[in-house]
Amino acid sequence: MQDETLLDILKKRGVSRRAFLKFCAAATSLMALPPTMASAVAEALAKAKRPSVIWLSFQECTGCTESLTRSFSPTLESLIFDAISLDYHETLQAAAGTAAEAARETAMKENWGKYLLLVDGSVSTRGGGYYSTVAGKTNLETLKEAAAGAAAVVCIGTCSSFGGIPYAKPNPTGAVPVSDIVKDKPVIHVPGCPPIPAVITGVLVQYLTFGTIPDLDELGRPRSYYGDTIHDRCYRRPYYDQGKFAKSFDDEGARNGWCLFELGCKGPTTHNVCATTKWNQGTSFPIQSGHGCLGCSEPNFWDNGSFYQALSTPIDSVAAAAATAAVVGVAAGVGVGIANHHAKAKAKAEHETVTVNDLEK
Amino acid sequence: MSGLDGIGVKVIDAGGDGSARAVLREIETLLTVLVEKGEEGSIDLSSLPLTPEAYDLLEETLGEGEVTAEVSSLGVTRVHETGIPGVWWVTHYNEDDDVMAEFIEVTHCPEILLTPEDDVKDGLEALRARLFEENMNKSSVE
Ligand code: SF4
Repeated sequence: MQDETLLDILKKRGVSRRAFLKFCAAATSLMALPPTMASAVAEALAKAKRPSVIWLSFQECTGCTESLTRSFSPTLESLIFDAISLDYHETLQAAAGTAAEAARETAMKENWGKYLLLVDGSVSTRGGGYYSTVAGKTNLETLKEAAAGAAAVVCIGTCSSFGGIPYAKPNPTGAVPVSDIVKDKPVIHVPGCPPIPAVITGVLVQYLTFGTIPDLDELGRPRSYYGDTIHDRCYRRPYYDQGKFAKSFDDEGARNGWCLFELGCKGPTTHNVCATTKWNQGTSFPIQSGHGCLGCSEPNFWDNGSFYQALSTPIDSVAAAAATAAVVGVAAGVGVGIANHHAKAKAKAEHETVTVNDLEK
Repeated sequence: MSGLDGIGVKVIDAGGDGSARAVLREIETLLTVLVEKGEEGSIDLSSLPLTPEAYDLLEETLGEGEVTAEVSSLGVTRVHETGIPGVWWVTHYNEDDDVMAEFIEVTHCPEILLTPEDDVKDGLEALRARLFEENMNKSSVE
């Protein structure tokens, strides 16, 4: 089973060569790679071995798993999910109790040093971590044990990436992000509350395809998905640049679909692909539904003041802020869509776009 | 009139089709490369923040060409050549008819329409097997 390649598995599911090509085109798009990479992706995927994946859930709400499994089916996501060997996932596995724990231990032993460890939820550390235990073991112990044999750790969601809601003040359980515990393995952050399913699978596909860890930003997030802010790609951006803001959720501006900056939109400081990939099969995303971005893929989003407070308190400075962004928009915005995210993210590394500080200047 | 229609949403054009113009320029560049060097190129539309107006502008400008094709494999893939020969619009749907990925391909023929090399070989084998079976049936009747 372990020797089967992804292509073998897909073939068994009746996927033809043309379908594989289509699969690769979609996977390339999912990974935010330039379309010309599709043949390289096809070649790599045809040879890719089925990796063992262990998914641990700690202090979390299962929203991240829901995000992934409720994504439309049959999909690219579900095909990829079939292509990995998900050896342990408390919510999804059939086994329970001792049998489940035994399955985890076997999978770990057999694939020691090679498996991918996925974690959702933060880790309780207070009093040794007894606030959250599974099968009599603290999450802290389980994480240390499982991380020791992992090739890499992927933090699914804001809780495992940055602490998230359990970490919010006053943090009664002494919750910490995974990266506070795991120091000697590559840790990839896929934040979001929950993350967009396509982003979760995109990161997995990248690992599956190239066996490598994607290019990460300073917060450990893959640049291909978190390289741009929501604001960079928001369709309401022209209103922002023109200084047209909704002042309340039911005023003329709101009805006209103007920018939600003054209603607390955190789009300018939030890195994610909601504005392009969107949610529910690409149907919409919060801003399109008339509500500002909460900033859920950023650290401490829960403690960053009111969701309805403008990033900079504008009054007179709105015009100035808009002007700053307009200039940035011209510099970084024209033809932005054309450049692939990857190349752009690289450029971004040197030229970070709008931040709260820029807006407040 | 449904409840939703009762909500007074009024969308004012913010001149948000700028990205469509940028895509059109990119297509021009790719087409130049195809003409001059014979190299193919493509643009991933699913990664761009295109508004419905931007889509309309793209479609309008490119127009409809002579070829339309549908590939049924892992859901449907709809392919058509636009009014600009060499510029193809390729939309991959999944089995639920949701868009999985969408590309503008600048090429003589999108790869998804070509028969894969190995499929041709399999095809030859399959045909031979069928002919063989037919022969057997015939000889058993005789
Ligand atoms: S502030 Fe929010 S609504 Fe306004 S353009 Fe930026 S991301 Fe869009």
